[in-house]
Amino acid sequence: MQTFKRQTVMQWLVYLVLAIMLVFTLTPILFMISASMMDRNQILRMPFSWIPETFKQANFVKAVQGNDQSYIFIRNISNSLIVSITVAITTVLIASLTGYGLAKFRFRGQNIIFIMIMATMMIPFEAIMIPLYMVVTKLHIQNTYTGLILPFLVSAFGVFQMRQYLTTFPTEFLDAARVDGMGEIGIYWRIVLPNCKPVIATLAILSFRNQWDNLLWPLLVSQTEKMKTIPQYISSFALERSTDEGAMMAAALLASIPMFLLFISLTKYFIGGSAVYESRKG
Amino acid sequence: MARREYRGIEKKQARWGFAFVIPSMLFFSLFSFYPIINAFYTSFFDKRALSKAPPKFLGLGNYIRLFDPARAASELSFLNSLRATLVFTLGTFIPLLILSLLVAVFISNLGNNKAKKFFQIAYYSPAILSSVVAATIWMIIFDPRGLGNQWVNFLMHTPGIDHKWLVDPVMEQVSTMVIYFWKYIGYFVILFITGLATIPPTLYEAATIDGANKNQTFWRITLPLLKPTVVLVSVMAMLQCLKTFSTQYMLYTNGAPRAPINVITFNIYVTGIQQQYLGRASAMSVVLFVLMLVLTLLQFKTTNSEQTEY
Repeated sequence: MQTFKRQTVMQWLVYLVLAIMLVFTLTPILFMISASMMDRNQILRMPFSWIPETFKQANFVKAVQGNDQSYIFIRNISNSLIVSITVAITTVLIASLTGYGLAKFRFRGQNIIFIMIMATMMIPFEAIMIPLYMVVTKLHIQNTYTGLILPFLVSAFGVFQMRQYLTTFPTEFLDAARVDGMGEIGIYWRIVLPNCKPVIATLAILSFRNQWDNLLWPLLVSQTEKMKTIPQYISSFALERSTDEGAMMAAALLASIPMFLLFISLTKYFIGGSAVYESRKG
Repeated sequence: MARREYRGIEKKQARWGFAFVIPSMLFFSLFSFYPIINAFYTSFFDKRALSKAPPKFLGLGNYIRLFDPARAASELSFLNSLRATLVFTLGTFIPLLILSLLVAVFISNLGNNKAKKFFQIAYYSPAILSSVVAATIWMIIFDPRGLGNQWVNFLMHTPGIDHKWLVDPVMEQVSTMVIYFWKYIGYFVILFITGLATIPPTLYEAATIDGANKNQTFWRITLPLLKPTVVLVSVMAMLQCLKTFSTQYMLYTNGAPRAPINVITFNIYVTGIQQQYLGRASAMSVVLFVLMLVLTLLQFKTTNSEQTEY
């Protein structure tokens, strides 16, 4: 009887902790959504009421118009999309090519190359951004898409993931295709890539998201309003409109829509995707 | 004859393998190895972005300047940055580690699979927002009239008190920690849930038959077997915290004082890009690199020596 009581108390404690964490993680998101529709006075009213009294369209209009009615928001969000999608594609292509080469071929220097690529994981981007900035200035690709994209074409982690995944890929398939006279590039394109879908999805999402979230590099590279990305837009919009909380939240919400959509449609790759890090311990 | 032909195929194969690896090799040489070597090199010079004169060789001058105790009193010194980064890292990753482990164990023990999935998705959702958006939301929550004060005052029964979230130096650090914690908690919960899933359920069954209670199984079975995951997650969380930039940048540009949140990356950005002292910023980058390298090596060492056999 005694233990039974303790068990139920423990059970309730567990639910309590989970519930508190749930409130903590979700309320700021709900706050953003409901505040984006609110008038400034309602957002900062004490106590806060969660239901918007009116739907304030002006918030969204301001968010899209930007600080000087130039609608630079559209250009900036497109820039982010261009950069993030390009990086996702190049990362998947180059990482799969390299991972395939390392997993399914035997050649001299193979191990050294793999170790060297893995070693670059220990070089944080923040530590090499100054030299990269000097490279970009020297190449005169500041303020261009090339400059924004170039340092992120592929990631060591992506190569690692692809290699691990392809190591378990049955070599017989590849040999059968070779016997049938398929070329090596054809094998990569028509057999290897289509069989890597889950790892490709995970890697593409990871790369897309990293660029969508990237503030530091665009701060170094983009100099004109036109070449700025969405994190920079939010940052300067928040600065100029620091007294217009509703518009700030509307801008934040609009900037999050692509990630929301991606998350809703591909949840399992997000949740499973971070778990892939686990394989690093093997 | 047959053997030679076979070797010919193998050679051809080797060439293809090498060809597939070339793009990556080029990329990593140009955008990882060259820059880090260049960072070391530049850190020995007084290099400025706009000056036409050849940079003056300083030897260890930049490093001596960074660690000069006489400058430690200055609010924006590098030593202060190191301290701000350390405070932020410890203050963020310890709660992150403990709570994500706790929550992961709780979620794994839930009977209902739908509930499991729901909690994972809900906790993970802040991670899909960009750091800039996260900081923007929390800046409004931390407004003197915002939700932050209302919640804390409600919980602590201190009506009408402003906790100066973005003004007071200590509270400002706490605010950055809260934002970061909020954004990454779900991510680490999922890492732990994955780690927990690798522990064979037979071990728990055996323990239950032997009469162990939940508490005992956690300390005697779960935790020891989860040790590699704990080490991995803690080092990953630490590295992540050491690289923090966006949160601090957002708070600073929106009027919060700089000194308490002048983390290393932020200092590199200001010194190298805004003030154009490339040499000095490179020296800071090298220090950051070495710091993170030591932690990463520590990770590999501990995880490799702690392989558990079931």
